[in-house]
Amino acid sequence: MTATLHASRETPPAVPARPRRRRGRAGQRTRTFYLFVGPWIAGFVLLTLFPLGYAFWMSLTNTDGLSPNWSYVGFDNYLRVFQDTQTIESLGRTGIFMLATVPTGVAAGLVMAVMLNRDFRGRTLFRALFYLPAVVPGVAAALTFKIIFDRNAGAANALVGAAGGEPISWLADPYTRFVLILMILWGVGGSMIISLAALQDVPRELLEAARVDGAGPVYSFFKITLPILSPIIFFQVVTGVIGSLQVFVPSLLLAPVNGPAAVTAVPEGNYLFMVHVYAEYFAKSHFGYASALLWVLFLFVLLITGVVFKIGSKAVFYGGVDPTEGKEG
Amino acid sequence: MAPENEFSPEFLKTAEERLDVKIKRVEVDTTKLTAMLASGTAPDLVRGLGAVETPYIVGRDLALPLDDYFAKSELLKEDDIDPVNDVWRYDGSVQGQGPRYGMAKDYSQDAMFWYNTALFDAAGVAHPSETEPVTYDQWLEMGKELTQKDGDTTTVYGLSAGGLGLFISLANMTASAGGSLLSEDLGTVDFSSPEGQKALQWFLDYARAKVGFSPVEPNPDGWDWPPYQTGRLAQSWSGYWFGGAIAAEAGLAETSRLAPAPTMGGERISPCFGATGYWIPKASKHQDEAWQVFEWFMGGDPAKERAAGGWGMPSLLSLRADLPVGTPAQEQALAAVEAESDYFKVLSFSPYVKVEALDAVLNQYLPDAINEDVSAGALADTLNTDMQALLDDGKELVL
Repeated sequence: MTATLHASRETPPAVPARPRRRRGRAGQRTRTFYLFVGPWIAGFVLLTLFPLGYAFWMSLTNTDGLSPNWSYVGFDNYLRVFQDTQTIESLGRTGIFMLATVPTGVAAGLVMAVMLNRDFRGRTLFRALFYLPAVVPGVAAALTFKIIFDRNAGAANALVGAAGGEPISWLADPYTRFVLILMILWGVGGSMIISLAALQDVPRELLEAARVDGAGPVYSFFKITLPILSPIIFFQVVTGVIGSLQVFVPSLLLAPVNGPAAVTAVPEGNYLFMVHVYAEYFAKSHFGYASALLWVLFLFVLLITGVVFKIGSKAVFYGGVDPTEGKEG
Repeated sequence: MAPENEFSPEFLKTAEERLDVKIKRVEVDTTKLTAMLASGTAPDLVRGLGAVETPYIVGRDLALPLDDYFAKSELLKEDDIDPVNDVWRYDGSVQGQGPRYGMAKDYSQDAMFWYNTALFDAAGVAHPSETEPVTYDQWLEMGKELTQKDGDTTTVYGLSAGGLGLFISLANMTASAGGSLLSEDLGTVDFSSPEGQKALQWFLDYARAKVGFSPVEPNPDGWDWPPYQTGRLAQSWSGYWFGGAIAAEAGLAETSRLAPAPTMGGERISPCFGATGYWIPKASKHQDEAWQVFEWFMGGDPAKERAAGGWGMPSLLSLRADLPVGTPAQEQALAAVEAESDYFKVLSFSPYVKVEALDAVLNQYLPDAINEDVSAGALADTLNTDMQALLDDGKELVL
């Protein structure tokens, strides 16, 4: 207390008024910054970091989520990942699914956007129509697809029959994977709307200049439009890759059994990695092993995203700004 | 934790007024239940399938024994409780014995089957007996005769033998042949016994004949009612409860009949695969209040209303008089069920694994086995290996 009083009696050093105000403003800016990002940080810690850590802890046990009789198994669950053929096969299937849906979806969205960016009568109507499937709830879409692809009464087999073919069991192996891919691509309007928005940023004067210089529409598209759109395409590829590796609800909705038990009846063709994880958690009660699978997926997503970024860094045009500019070393 | 059609807002309001308790309903969700139990915020009343879940929840010390409550109950008297509720009893080794851990809200003997006489008449097939069971082979033959095709398209399926799930259907068939898929200690699965292989072979023959829904002939509707309702299915492997839906369709109520459970050569049995009801978690913080709701729901006015609806046999014998008999189908179904009750049997399920896990294994291997003419013996070996691994995993966790 004495020391405090003594100190308070000392003449304070002369501090220039201006820098104090600066520190005050800087402090206020810092407080404001943390006030704004605080909720996000809290959410990130509680809803991302904590679950990640909890899942990692569970992955070191044989818990079924209910029994108090669990025990630590070390990294056995991680070793089991590489011995489980269902895991390896579902991961491979998910990779193929990603390769089938992401490039096709992004390319189809871009083509549709370019078409709908032209001036023609009814353009707004077509934009709305093409985007409409993207806002249809997934459950409704799945029911529609199940009706369309029903073996006995579906429109798909009516077309097959009209072409002289025999009815196909679309919802069973080996055809059900095509129905799933079609169902995902049906929502391509989402990609279209992003590309369409990006197309509005392509400077008209560049296209006009190219046209004056004798460039055709195809040449202009590949040399001007596409490079300008490349960051947006890259964004769609990255989010598409991450999303496609985590697909599982559409697989359940296309299964021949309704409700949570659907996970036990997903045909092999639609048995993607996350379906496998869900089945391990809630059908087989392997909470420890399923948590290890999630960590493996997390690392796999990081790896794939890293590869995509590596490729993207050479293929994406950032408007003359080097994205690595300013970095040291 | 209950579905809205059982605990509607109106029902909750009435229950709160009558019992002087506050009730908050949460939707039935395995994920949520697991999280709630793990986090120490257990729900007070949980919906479950007594026939296949009782040993599992008791083996993990999750369920509260209710014998003391039953002993004091004015609404649920021991001599009034239907024997089917024994599926909610488990003594640590035998299901059907030991303390009561729950009670069915209603039930059906699920190996019985409904058939549409109009489709039988149209196909010129004799109706099955209403008192004597057909054999599984006869049943499949009837299914083949009833199946109608337009070119390669099936317009009427003769028989749907999915039941309430693959494993319990096969377990029932095996028991009906005189065997058992699970060992006496419920810790070993064996499809390789002659009875187990007979059941598997029958299912493979059924699926290959494409007379009904299977993993290679999926039902886009997910359950039997839509095709049965629209005359696209002649026989559905569903118990008495299916009559609740049939009663709402005047035409179907005229032509639908309930037949005894088929047999596979052994002792005549007619088990219940579900016995859907409720249990109280040991970790519930309001056990007495939960029992109040449980008791009223199972033995009070709600139970009477359910019985009158005809969506299942009441789990109290005294409520049988309330079952509907307004249509020929309802009248015949009640007579058939009463005759069938002599053959009721509890099929013990394992505490080491969930039935969904075993269904997942069956669904993994059945499509290839059906399409590639795999023998029942080879399929049995594969199933034994994978299912046994699941059972062994579970053994480490049971108390």
